[in-house]
Amino acid sequence: MGESPNVCLTLSNQPDNVLVVRETLSGMAETVGVDGVDLNDIRTAVTEACNNVVLHAYEGGEGPLHVEVYLSADTVEVVVRDHGTGIMPHIRSDEEEALGIGLSIIQALAPRVEFKDVDGGGTEVRMEFTTPTAHPLASLVRNGFRPPDVAGAELATTTGLAVGPDALARKVLPRVLCVLAARAHFTTDRISDAELVADALVSEAFAPSAGDHLNVSVTVEPRSLAMRVGPLESGSAERVIASSLGDGVGPVIEKLTDDRRVAADGPSEMLELRLFDQR
Amino acid sequence: MMPAKTALPKAPREAGTPMSPANEALLFARHIEGDLAAREALVRRFMPLARSLARRYDRSSEPFEDLLQVASLGLLKALDRFDPALGHPFASFAVPTILGEMRRHFRDAGWSVHVPRGSQERALKVRDAQERLANAQGRAPTVNELAQYLELSAEEVIDALQAIQAYESLSLDAPRPGATDEATSYGDAMGAEDARYELVELDATVSAVLGRIPAREREILRMRFVEDLTQTEIADRVGISQMQVSRLLRRSLDQLRALTATTS
Repeated sequence: MGESPNVCLTLSNQPDNVLVVRETLSGMAETVGVDGVDLNDIRTAVTEACNNVVLHAYEGGEGPLHVEVYLSADTVEVVVRDHGTGIMPHIRSDEEEALGIGLSIIQALAPRVEFKDVDGGGTEVRMEFTTPTAHPLASLVRNGFRPPDVAGAELATTTGLAVGPDALARKVLPRVLCVLAARAHFTTDRISDAELVADALVSEAFAPSAGDHLNVSVTVEPRSLAMRVGPLESGSAERVIASSLGDGVGPVIEKLTDDRRVAADGPSEMLELRLFDQR
Repeated sequence: MMPAKTALPKAPREAGTPMSPANEALLFARHIEGDLAAREALVRRFMPLARSLARRYDRSSEPFEDLLQVASLGLLKALDRFDPALGHPFASFAVPTILGEMRRHFRDAGWSVHVPRGSQERALKVRDAQERLANAQGRAPTVNELAQYLELSAEEVIDALQAIQAYESLSLDAPRPGATDEATSYGDAMGAEDARYELVELDATVSAVLGRIPAREREILRMRFVEDLTQTEIADRVGISQMQVSRLLRRSLDQLRALTATTS
């Protein structure tokens, strides 16, 4: 394909994480105007592909689930990838009946489907959907893409997201944070605050991001969300924190988060934010 | 461009009463000859497939019973159109037929352009439950608490929260819990508060940009960001739901950002 995805998610293959993917797709549909029935097809097919990774890719163990979304004028392409044992042998053995239904659903709903083995182990399901009602985004992402940097033990609690352009990030990041804040047992009050922080990040951190994406990884712990935003241009993270909407409101990110740090990341820097729910 | 439909996996043998392929072929042969008992046996045999598809097709938008009814109709159509002479397994023909029936149903029901009614009703239930639980506990509920209270899944509650954010008419025009007439809808409650806030604001120093958004929203911003009240506390004071506060905050911050960008 050559070009960068508009959305790239790196998650653990826990069942809960399928909801992160589904909400991401809803945010995508809202951004480009995919109609309700087409969105259902996309969500249903992609859910089946993700469930395959949840249930079968790592033989009961944990491992990464990668999801990429590519938007073009009248198609949405979604790639679901794992680095597990590969699902194709299972299908051919004809013993996994539930899995078989899942793949039949994918084939019935996606006009184009491609299954292939991933170099070094794993499976990739590539689904292309036609979306006649969608309008193209003003700018498609072409360069500077850096996939989410989440790996190893942190994968169990951390979700990595890279998303662009900003119009798409505006709809996707708040939804992803809503799901993760709910998982962190936040109250609806604090979930909404997390969404306000997401809005502020898209507005303030997009421009100083390296490339055309906003990279955010979010770690969930009970009543705590820790976000790493970046890489950002050196010197810009403090500006993002302090960015104010004037008297009567002030710096939104500073007021809504409980802890803020700036960490060096080679020539760039990372903005680290924490939200707690201290009810 | 990728090739279409590569590596076609085998069709599933869906869960159900075990049956030898020979028996199944016999039933189809008798069904084609008009044997109603054979048709009924085939329906029983493949109903688990229809049920499974109903369960999997976008889980959150419609009551399961309605989905199952549409899926069953799709199954009957598939049984009537299936030609065993072509040599394909029935399930590989039935899955796209049943899903096609469900798509058509949702198109006809206006899903392409409208929020499904089931989703709307659920969003209002979540909004009301949020208010009730917040009053009872003295703090906003979590998603799990709402899910437990309403016997919904966490996903259904989260979808409802998103729907409330996305669809203006959903919470502004809907009657509030306990409302006796239209005058107590959210929109009106907000309007009534307007005049009072205007007075409060008279002496305040309002920046040029802030002055361009409505007074009540300015006041809600002030309560959250200057007074540091929680959204639930603001909802209490203003007489609207926390979710309405949430949406007004998001909207007015968006407006402020747009105005700041054009001013600077």
